[in-house]
Amino acid sequence: MRAILSELRASLSRNTSMTISLIVTMSVSLMLASLGLLIQAQADRTERYFGDRLQLQVNLCTKNSPAATCVGGVATDEQKLAVQDALDSNPEVKSFSVRSPEDNFEQARELLGQTDTGRKQLETLGPDSFPESYFVTLNDPQDFDGVVSQVSGMDGVGNVNSLRELLGPLFEMLDKLQWASLGTALLLIVAAILQVSNTIRMTAFARRREIGIMRLVGASSWHIQLPFVLESLVAALVSAALAASGLAAFMHFVVYGYLRDTLGTITTWVRWQDAFVVMGWTTALSIVLALIPTLVMTRKYLNV
Amino acid sequence: MIRFDKVSKTYPGQKRAALDGIDLEVTKGEFVFLVGASGSGKSTFLRLILRETRPSTGNVYVAGKEINKLSSWKVPKLRREIGTVFQDFRLLPNKSVTENVAFALQVIGKSRQEIDELVPETLELVGLEGKGHRMPEELSGGEQQRVAIARAFVNRPKILIADEPTGNLDPATSVGIMKLLDRINRTDTTVIMATHDSSIVDQMRKRVIELNEGRLVRDEARGIYGYQN
Repeated sequence: MRAILSELRASLSRNTSMTISLIVTMSVSLMLASLGLLIQAQADRTERYFGDRLQLQVNLCTKNSPAATCVGGVATDEQKLAVQDALDSNPEVKSFSVRSPEDNFEQARELLGQTDTGRKQLETLGPDSFPESYFVTLNDPQDFDGVVSQVSGMDGVGNVNSLRELLGPLFEMLDKLQWASLGTALLLIVAAILQVSNTIRMTAFARRREIGIMRLVGASSWHIQLPFVLESLVAALVSAALAASGLAAFMHFVVYGYLRDTLGTITTWVRWQDAFVVMGWTTALSIVLALIPTLVMTRKYLNV
Repeated sequence: MIRFDKVSKTYPGQKRAALDGIDLEVTKGEFVFLVGASGSGKSTFLRLILRETRPSTGNVYVAGKEINKLSSWKVPKLRREIGTVFQDFRLLPNKSVTENVAFALQVIGKSRQEIDELVPETLELVGLEGKGHRMPEELSGGEQQRVAIARAFVNRPKILIADEPTGNLDPATSVGIMKLLDRINRTDTTVIMATHDSSIVDQMRKRVIELNEGRLVRDEARGIYGYQN
């Protein structure tokens, strides 16, 4: 074991420049990949908050609703049943789910809790400030006019939102950002894999005499491969750590330092726990990225 | 210990066979000279024993194993039974004599204790006691070959293969190396030595196997070199 570790140290110092360039490429690609994953987490979170982007949101009346259909105050049970029947019998409706005022209040607490003004606003609100809502999935999302006109005139319905219109631009931007970061990450990952291969080829060449002797005296394959595997693993873990710090900086300065304060009313933004999950994935990715080409290439260049 | 059973070997893309119908046996503790012109098949013969390549037809048995059927993960184990020495010594220039010999044991996972015991013992056997701390470049050619022999023998293999071990050495030094190989042979180690050195073969009067264009043309129990280069 001592011999292997000293071998590893010697090998890392011999290949310093190669190792550094590998680590730089890898950490940048991992950073971009983690950004892509974080955006995915953000999109999921937004979707969970607003419902699916293709759904219609039907809000029933609260005690303060200004709509003409809400003169009776909070929607009554009969009104609720009437709306549900109408949705059930409409052929354009595929399905719908109910969200209670309490659920809506919880969601709002999370959203408003992100900013100072929001937190002040929350003090005056309770579950009864929020409507019961129906999230309606349509057979054809383009075809929402019929349902909107049918239910928006019914007694007890406060308003009907098409989330497509409301959230379309946000989701579109998230989608584009995500694909851009994942696409660039993919390109860099290809570069990182090639660099792993090159590093191994050069190391194998530099150590050809030692490797030849190892083979000759009967060192097992894993014994010959191990220094290469460890070297790649060290590079991978350093890259993963750098990428994780990059993501942490992004969370600290951009998400917590800017988005949550200034754009807190749009949606609930990703939290540290989402970032930690992403870090876990990218660390796993870095290990796979380093190990697979290393195992393939050592087999090829070392004839083990 | 080693048996060739109607062995032929043709390398891909080559018309002429490197080895052609070789049939012979080397028993435990024998000392065998392998002679023949360059390209006669000596290297292929040795490579087959080491399982660096496989026969095209026929079977090779080494230390009780049929190398054709040996799966690749068992090859290292086979090679631990065989020590190998080359004309160009192949020492690691950045390691001392002791480290070079210990390397062969480290990479097969021997314990520190075994290494500390075996390495000085082997260095003494090859006549290098007290030179363990030297670097290869500080040694003469003969001494470097002794280090290489120590490295090949430190794990006490059953077979020692020497591929022209005296090819780079002057006659007087060569005699010393031959005495060492003879001493190793007396420990019941089978020695197979490929050589072009006629005076050594003539002096030692051991078994001589001569190859010519891949065919076995002579196998004498107490032979001489027998042909002019």
